[in-house]
Amino acid sequence: MRRVLVTHVESPVGRRVVKALFHDPDVALALGLGTEPEPSYLAPYRGKIAYQRIDLAKARHLQSFLHSERFARARPDSVIHLPFAEERARERVPGGVHSLVSETRRLVEECAAKGGIERFVYLSSVFVYEPEPGNGNVVSEGQLLGFDGAGDSLVRAWIDADLVCQGELHGSTLLMTILRSATIVTEGGGFLNSPPLAHAEPAVGYDPMLAVVSERDVARAIVLALHADRPGIYNIAGREVFPRSQLGAGERRVAGFALPAPLGGALGLVEQLLGRGSTQGAAFERYGIVPSSRLAHEALGFEPQYRIEVRGTGAARRIDTVRCR
Amino acid sequence: MSHDELPGALGPSLGTDPFTQGDGTLPYLIRLRERSLRIVAEAAPAHEPKSAHEAPQEVPDLGPPIPELPSFDDRDESAGPLDRLAGMLLTPGDEERLAQLNAGLGGRAYDEFGLSPRITRRALAFFKLLYKYWFRVESSGHAVIPEKEGAILAANHGGLLPFDATMIVVDGVLAGRPPRLVRTVVDRWAGTLPFVNVFYARVGQVVGSRDNVRELLRLKQLVLIFPEGMAGVRKRAADRYVLQPFHLGFVEESLRHRVPIIPVAVVGADDQAPVLWDVQPLAKLLGLPFFPITPTFPLLGPLGLLPYPVRYEIAYGEPFRFYDEYPPEALEDPHAVRYMTEQVRRRIQEMVDQRVLDRRAKRR
Repeated sequence: MRRVLVTHVESPVGRRVVKALFHDPDVALALGLGTEPEPSYLAPYRGKIAYQRIDLAKARHLQSFLHSERFARARPDSVIHLPFAEERARERVPGGVHSLVSETRRLVEECAAKGGIERFVYLSSVFVYEPEPGNGNVVSEGQLLGFDGAGDSLVRAWIDADLVCQGELHGSTLLMTILRSATIVTEGGGFLNSPPLAHAEPAVGYDPMLAVVSERDVARAIVLALHADRPGIYNIAGREVFPRSQLGAGERRVAGFALPAPLGGALGLVEQLLGRGSTQGAAFERYGIVPSSRLAHEALGFEPQYRIEVRGTGAARRIDTVRCR
Repeated sequence: MSHDELPGALGPSLGTDPFTQGDGTLPYLIRLRERSLRIVAEAAPAHEPKSAHEAPQEVPDLGPPIPELPSFDDRDESAGPLDRLAGMLLTPGDEERLAQLNAGLGGRAYDEFGLSPRITRRALAFFKLLYKYWFRVESSGHAVIPEKEGAILAANHGGLLPFDATMIVVDGVLAGRPPRLVRTVVDRWAGTLPFVNVFYARVGQVVGSRDNVRELLRLKQLVLIFPEGMAGVRKRAADRYVLQPFHLGFVEESLRHRVPIIPVAVVGADDQAPVLWDVQPLAKLLGLPFFPITPTFPLLGPLGLLPYPVRYEIAYGEPFRFYDEYPPEALEDPHAVRYMTEQVRRRIQEMVDQRVLDRRAKRR
């Protein structure tokens, strides 16, 4: 019977994870952490789930919590850490996304130092991978990470936090599992973990393929990772892939300006002199990353159970999550 | 789970909140809120999900599932003029062959690599015209292509624009028995080109990375590789139909995935746009892999890149099954891999030479 600590339970994925843990007979208790007042959705789950308001980004908050009677009574043996599963992590997190990196580092260090915690499941993103030229590229877990200094701040924070967790992969104290998820589709048809969709202006001439996965499947993968004795890095993706233009609704399609590297480089220099933004944009705006979740299937038994359907275009576009038969 | 661990009405008994212990500095509103929530919880026992806990379910009910959706092509209600034009150019037999190809997608609108059945159909309608009337392709040896299993097609490369790849793909659809979509592995540079990268992906072509090739072979696809790489395209007219040194990767993947290598000889591509000179300094300046001078390019501008109406001949040879002859450890032996690669290269060279000689004999 697992006793689980779940961070950021107020996020859409956190909510799904809490519900899945509640219905999981192998989980005795879950203690949810969040920065906001107790979410109302937790009310029906109090039988097994407790909530603690805490700002993990603050060292003294974490220390106080770890030495509290509450933590001692909970005796968690596993941690599920979901720092980036917010819909607008950039704006919503005080101190910006970099505080999520320091929070992750602190939490991992404390869990490794403090006895009792055996497992640590961390939800990362496939956008940590270095995008390679091409509209749709399948990437496995062995793909290099994209250490692009000029890249998106959220992606850089993802990479940093991912590396922090990777540091514990071969340690002896924690069984670390890193799940790198594709673009998460929420129940309401929103998207999480997708920097290409966060940019309003797509690059002309590029329409990268985006792999999607239902938030329910992500929660399921997290619970599978919690119970499996297979630490490591796993990609999580659903069956469907869509071009960016089909997922980004109501956008201006002819905007931005993207060119091949050599021409873009020359034009970029001119634009820099004129004090304008780059013409090329980040690589993930041009090149598709389609994660292969074969390893997660083999090691964790993960199989997507939900299909994502996109109907219509523009403002009339509708995205549904449909259970596979 | 013992009942001692389970809380009463107010949740797990985990003690007091360390951040709300009364030090007099915390806002009393928080405590007031907690109390009010307790009162609400106690006053509303009907909200206790005891029954839900006693009868756990994997996921909350979503309501009745919507009916299974039809395949992508049927779902598309707005067939545009290009689709209608494609409908006019393709025969019912062609449509049937396309339908057989689409069956592998399982109703999805796109596959992992960005292939779109709808755009493939449009492209096929156009390239079929080139196949039949511009290049007048003759092909032979389709019997060696597996019906369902994966295989690597290794072909010689030539011509400025990759019409050799296009004609092999069209041949696979129109003349294959059964029709199969050949997935060409294209150079990474093509993946950087705006519009081109999207079009290639939608018609099933894939940028050459190991992960992509491995996934294609895992999915039992026909993978077309030009082991000469760019060297085959930029070779001068004097070297046409002389195969350049091969890269080794395709033999390694064949051994790793235990798939046959089918040698493919293409005659005609090297005549479609003979390269007189490759201006490397200019190519480097423009960030291109090569900058060709042909009898028509750059004299006629972009129009000079169009291929001459040469006859194409495509021949599929007997497959190499090195994995039957060599142990798996051979993969680690670069000499063995090079030896196997050389065998494939020689076979393709022989096939090409034979057909070039036949052509010359016919002309005389």
